[in-house]
Amino acid sequence: MKRDIEDATSISEADLEKLTKEANQEATPSAAKIMWREFVADKPALISLFILIVFILFVIIASMFIDVPKMMETNIMGYYAKPFTPEYWLGADAGGRSIAKELVVGSRNSICIAIGLTIISSTFGICWGLVSGYFGGMVDLAMQRVYDFMMIIPMLMTIIVIVTIIPHYNAITLTLILSIFYWMGTSRLIRSRTLSESQKDYVAASKTSGTGNLKIIFREIMPNISSLIIVDTTLSFAENIGVETGLSFLGFGLPMGTPSLGTLIANANDPENITGYWWTWLPAAVEIIILCLSISYIGQVMRRTTNAAQRRGQDKK
Amino acid sequence: MSLIEIKDLKVHYPIRGGFWNRVVDNVKAVDGVTFDIEAGETYGLVGESGSGKSTTAKAIIGLEKATSGTVTYKGKDVTKAENRRKLDYNHDVQMIFQDSLSSLNPRKRIEDIIAEPLRNFEKLDKQAEKLRVLQLLDIVGLDADALYKYPHQFSGGQRQRIGVARAVATHPKLIIADEPVSALDLSVQAQVLNFMKKIQRDFGISYLFISHDLGVVRHMCNNIAIMNRGRIVEVGTREDIYNEPMHIYTKRLLAAIPETNVNHRKEHREHRLEIEKIYQEQQQKYYDKDGMAFPLVKVSPTHSVALPPEEAKKFQQQAENKEVNV
Ligand SMILES: Nc1ncnc2c1ncn2[C@@H]1O[C@H](COP(=O)(O)OP(=O)(O)OP(=O)(O)O)[C@@H](O)[C@H]1O
Ligand SMILES: [Mg+2]
Repeated sequence: MKRDIEDATSISEADLEKLTKEANQEATPSAAKIMWREFVADKPALISLFILIVFILFVIIASMFIDVPKMMETNIMGYYAKPFTPEYWLGADAGGRSIAKELVVGSRNSICIAIGLTIISSTFGICWGLVSGYFGGMVDLAMQRVYDFMMIIPMLMTIIVIVTIIPHYNAITLTLILSIFYWMGTSRLIRSRTLSESQKDYVAASKTSGTGNLKIIFREIMPNISSLIIVDTTLSFAENIGVETGLSFLGFGLPMGTPSLGTLIANANDPENITGYWWTWLPAAVEIIILCLSISYIGQVMRRTTNAAQRRGQDKK
Repeated sequence: MSLIEIKDLKVHYPIRGGFWNRVVDNVKAVDGVTFDIEAGETYGLVGESGSGKSTTAKAIIGLEKATSGTVTYKGKDVTKAENRRKLDYNHDVQMIFQDSLSSLNPRKRIEDIIAEPLRNFEKLDKQAEKLRVLQLLDIVGLDADALYKYPHQFSGGQRQRIGVARAVATHPKLIIADEPVSALDLSVQAQVLNFMKKIQRDFGISYLFISHDLGVVRHMCNNIAIMNRGRIVEVGTREDIYNEPMHIYTKRLLAAIPETNVNHRKEHREHRLEIEKIYQEQQQKYYDKDGMAFPLVKVSPTHSVALPPEEAKKFQQQAENKEVNV
């Protein structure tokens, strides 16, 4: 005799609201809340987060008010103008261009490229690693050969060649070109974790509960490796600021007339600038150091959030 | 007709090696297993660690690809994924996993865990779904405040109940319980087992009950299969197995059940040592040259044993004689 679940318990629709309320009181705090507590408990990280957000917002908004072509015009009158003057807060370079303005627009460019590059390459790398690790077998084998191929290409040289060949490129195409070469590290990392995660019984339980493969990958496994994803993404963001900056420094990054942190630091190529006209390159260098330090502080907090044993935040009720 | 029929099921894992990474050998995790489960009964599958119990279970439910053999459900072979899909097989057949912690997604709240099969197989609206989850929690004896908690906030016994709640959520006809209590202490074991029996009575579920503990199996199962090195060495009713064990492996397992009566401790120990000695002596005889068990022979209508060829002949003759007499 098969009876129904309804008959085996006394709970009915009338109790639904009351029980939901009871359950809500006992609910465990969400991951976002735990993360916030962790930031509050770690003051340097909180300051870093504050600096990073304010700075990014500032350069994006401020650069909207700057007329870039006009800013990039040469102005003989301002030739190596000294800093801390009303017209040139941070001085000017050999072309009489305001370093302060260049710094704002350049930071905007560099940071936006780094964000774009991180979003595209991490998303792709994460998907690649998840699919490869989850399905295993022939799928994994084929996907790993593509990975191997990408790894043996001499990256920097290929990027420089592509950038030289393409006649007209801008920030967006540069981001796309770079993205092709920066997903592999993430994908390998994610794949190895997915391989071990896929063996766990909760994945088997999802399969026997009738959940489809894609849903298992992105709704069951991905949340479980979110700690790895968050940490990896923050760190690659820091790294990616360096990628574009480095290329621009070498002269293969953004096209002429588009300022970036890299082109500003490239001023230091001239030995005279290093000693005599320090204001042409120092602010950009300091800015990069501060950015990368802040990001790594934030990354540490993220890592702690995901590992209960390392937490410093109070579990207050 | 039986609820589900497993016939000559084999699961072999290839071992790759050598220069070309070719298949050099197979691990015969399951090697020709045959049994039927009737509606409403509890079928016991017993064997020591590594004997292939979990692999059998996974092949039956479709988590592991069967190398050969069939699993027939509603007249269709469900070792094929396409038949499983057509029958909505996992709506009817569910599993309780050996390790309760790893079988619950640590990033999901209990509500979402229990509701997962409901969302896939029965399209309920939000309110009805939550009600059903609350009812299931009540059935397994957990409070409503479990709803928004995470698996790590529960004890082992409570987690096993959550696993049970998920397994019964869709009214399955068969639940494969892979050592559902072996990670629990004795008092909690009894709780969970009695509870499983209760929902069996209430819902008319069949169990394939996997365990290495013959004491627990005796409490739960009507029919029992003893498994060793991927093969079944003895099948029979509970009485057959406990009162007239015939295979040395079964005898050894039975002797290993701890004696709770203090007065008989010494006798029990002697008995166990004696069985162990016989086991060591006769091991050669009961297994073939590859160390595999022999095919099963019927010794009574309900009882089959993997006897060595000479003894098997005797029983076959007896059976034939009987047929002549009748
Ligand atoms: N993926 C695999 N690849 C190779 N061999 C495997 C694989 N899975 C299991 N085996 C082997 O198959 C055999 C049976 O394993 P199985 O998990 O079914 O044992 P079990 O009876 O459930 O044991 P336990 O009581 O410890 O759970 C073991 O010898 C194991 O080494
Ligand atoms: Mg097992």
